[in-house]
Amino acid sequence: MALQPQPPSMPPDARRALLLKLCVIVVMMFGFAWALIPLYRVICEVTGINQVVQADTLAEDTARPVSSARPVTLVFDANVQAGLPWQVRPLVRQLSARPGEFVRVEYEITNASNRRVVGQAVPRYLPAAAGEHVKKLDCFCFRQQVFAPGETRRFPVVFVVDRKLPEEVESITLAYSVFDVPGSGG
Amino acid sequence: MAIADTAGHAPHTGKPTGLGRWLFATNHKDIGSLYLWFSFIMFLTGGVMALAIRLELFSPGLQFWQPELFNQLVTLHGLIMIFGAIMPAFNGLANWMLPLMIGAPDMAFARMNNWSFWLLPPAALLLLLSFFVPGGAAASGWTMYAPLSTQMGMGMDMTIFAIHILGVSSIMGAINIIVTVLNLRAPGLTLMKMPMFAWASLITAYLIIAVMPVLAGAVTMVLTDRHFGTHFFNAAGGGDPVMYQHVFWFFGHPEVYIMALPAFGIISQVIPTFSRKRLFGYTSMVYATASIAILSFMVWAHHMFTTGMPATAQLFFMYATMLIAVPTGVKVFNWVATMWQGSLTFETPMLFAIGFICLFTIGGLSGVILSVAAVDTQLQDTYYVVAHFHYVLVAGALFSLFSAVYYWFPKMTGRMYSERLGKLHFWWSMVWFNVTFFPMHFLGLAGMPRRIPDYALQFTDFNSLATIGAFCFGLGQLIVLYNLLISLRRGPPAVEHPWEGAQTLEWRIPTPAPYHSFVEAPEVDADDNGVIHAVRGGTHH
Repeated sequence: MALQPQPPSMPPDARRALLLKLCVIVVMMFGFAWALIPLYRVICEVTGINQVVQADTLAEDTARPVSSARPVTLVFDANVQAGLPWQVRPLVRQLSARPGEFVRVEYEITNASNRRVVGQAVPRYLPAAAGEHVKKLDCFCFRQQVFAPGETRRFPVVFVVDRKLPEEVESITLAYSVFDVPGSGG
Repeated sequence: MAIADTAGHAPHTGKPTGLGRWLFATNHKDIGSLYLWFSFIMFLTGGVMALAIRLELFSPGLQFWQPELFNQLVTLHGLIMIFGAIMPAFNGLANWMLPLMIGAPDMAFARMNNWSFWLLPPAALLLLLSFFVPGGAAASGWTMYAPLSTQMGMGMDMTIFAIHILGVSSIMGAINIIVTVLNLRAPGLTLMKMPMFAWASLITAYLIIAVMPVLAGAVTMVLTDRHFGTHFFNAAGGGDPVMYQHVFWFFGHPEVYIMALPAFGIISQVIPTFSRKRLFGYTSMVYATASIAILSFMVWAHHMFTTGMPATAQLFFMYATMLIAVPTGVKVFNWVATMWQGSLTFETPMLFAIGFICLFTIGGLSGVILSVAAVDTQLQDTYYVVAHFHYVLVAGALFSLFSAVYYWFPKMTGRMYSERLGKLHFWWSMVWFNVTFFPMHFLGLAGMPRRIPDYALQFTDFNSLATIGAFCFGLGQLIVLYNLLISLRRGPPAVEHPWEGAQTLEWRIPTPAPYHSFVEAPEVDADDNGVIHAVRGGTHH
C-alpha cells in the first residue's frame, strides 16, 4: 500500500505515539502480573488472612480457661505429598479441651528413605472458619524441617483455642499436609 | 493527455497473486479473510474434540478414551475454541470491516497485522502436536490450574509456549485496532457517532492489552515453577496454588468479555438494519459497554468462591458480579426496544441476532444465579457451569459471528449466500444447540461434575440426549461451510445494496468492496451508531 493519506488532523507521528503508549501499557500489565505476588503477600500479612505457618500472638484474655465452657473435640490428622518419603502421624488422634486451655500434642515424623529430605508442613482446619480461633504458639510447620536418612523425630504443637470460638463449633480437625521442598533435598 | 492521465493515477488495482498474496499479506481484507478461515478451521478442530468428549459421555463407564486422553480433549477443546476460534474470528471481522466502517484506507500498521495473523498457525500447531509427545497434551483444563499444571509432561510446556505466541498475536491485533479506530476515522465520524461494532472492538482491544500480558505472566510463573526452581505456586516453598487462580482469573474474567463485547457490537449493527430503525439508546449502549469492561476487572474471585475466601470478600465479589447484569440488561432491553414497532424481516443474519438475544439472555441469567456465593458453592465445577458458559459462548459469541458472516458476506465477496441454506443452518443450530446444552443445567443441578469421563447411572438419559444434540449440531455446521463455499463460487451476484435498512459507511462503497478502499479519506455526515447521511470524496482502487 503505497497510498495511505492521513486524515489532516492525524499525522503519522500520532500513530507512533499511540503505539508507544499502548506498548507501555502492555509491559506494565506484564509487570503487574508479577507484582501481584508480593502484593497479595502484603495484603495477607496486613489483614492476617492465611497466616497459618507463623506463631500467633495471644490477646490478654485468650488463654483464660472458662470453666463453664463446653469442651471442644479436637481431631488430629496428617497427610504427605505423593512421592515424599515421610511418615507423619499424630501421637494422639483425638482429645477434648476447653476454649482458653493450652493444648500440647506431638507428631512423629520419620524419613523412610535413605536420602536427606527437606519438608514443609501446612496446617488446615475443618471447619475452615474455626482456623482463626486456633492460636498456635509452637509448631513444626513454622520452619522447613531437614531430615537425615532414616531419622525419626517428635515435634510438639502447642496451641490455645480462642475463647471467642462460636458456640456452634463442636469439633475442630487440625490436618497437616507435608510437602517436599524442591531443590533442597539431598 | 491520456498517457499523462494514466501515469498520474497509476491505479494498482491488481492484487498480488499466488502464495505470496497471503504469506506477505498487508491488505486488511486479505488478512481478515485469513483470520476468518483460520478461525473456522479451528472451530471445526475444536468441534471434533467436543464430539469426542460427548461420544465418551454418551453412556456411563469408559468406552472410547482413557481418562487421561479425555482430560486432554477437554483442555484442548477449551483452549482451541477460545484462542483459536472465537478471538481470531472477532479480530478477523474487525480487520475486514473496521476500515470500511470508519473510512480508513487500511489498518494502521499493515505489517504488524501480517505478523499478528501468521503467529497463529504455529501456535495452533504446537497445541495440536502436543497430543503426540510423551505424556500427551495438557490435561489440566483450559484454566491450567496449579498444581496440575506444574506437574504435567512436556505437553504443558508446549501449551505454555503456544499461549505466549497467541498472546503476542492478540496483543498486536488489539494495538492495531486501537490505533486504527482512534487515528484513522474519516473526518466527520466522531467517537460518539461510531458504529457500535467499532466501539465494541475498541473497548475489547483495550481489555486485551490489559489482561493478555497478565495471562502471559501467569503461565510464565508456571513455567519457572516447572523448570527453574521457583515456588510461586508451590506450598512447600512458601507459594500457594490458590495464588495462581487469583492471577489467572484477573485475566480470565475480562477474557469472558473479550469474547462477548464484539458480539454485542455485531448485534447492535444487525438488529437496526433488519428492524429498519435506528439503534435505540446509542449513548447508553456505549456507556454500558464501557462499564461492563471496567466492572470485569473487579469480579475475578467469583470463580473462586470455594477456595476458602473470607465471607466479606465473597460478598464483595458476589455483589460486584451481580452489578454487571445492569449494563448487560441495558443492552438487551435496548435491542428489544430497537425491534419494537420496527418493520422486521427475518433474513439469516437477523435470525441469528434474535437467537443470540434469546439464548445469551438465558446464559446471562444462569450467570447471575452462579454469582450468588451460596449457590455457587453447590454448583462449582458442575455441568450447570458448563451449560452457562456454552449459552454465552456458543449461542452468544458463535451465533453473533454467524450473524456477522451472513450479514457482510455480500459486501465481502460480491455474491449472495443461499438464504434457504442460511435459514436451515439457523433453525438446525437453534434446535440442536438447546438439545445439547439445556439438559446440562439439570445435570449440574443434580450434581454431575465437569471434566470427568464417567458418571453415575442416574445421569445417563440427559447425557445421551446431549450427545445426540451435539452430533446433530456439529453436523449442521457443515451446512454453513457448504453454503459459504458454494456461494463463493456460484452464488448470484450481490446487488449494490443488499440490505436496504443498512446505513453504515461500509454499505456506501461498491460491492464487492474494492481491494483498496478509501485510498483517499472520505468526509462524512454521520449520526448515532455510524448512520451515514452523506459522503463526500473518498476514492477506491
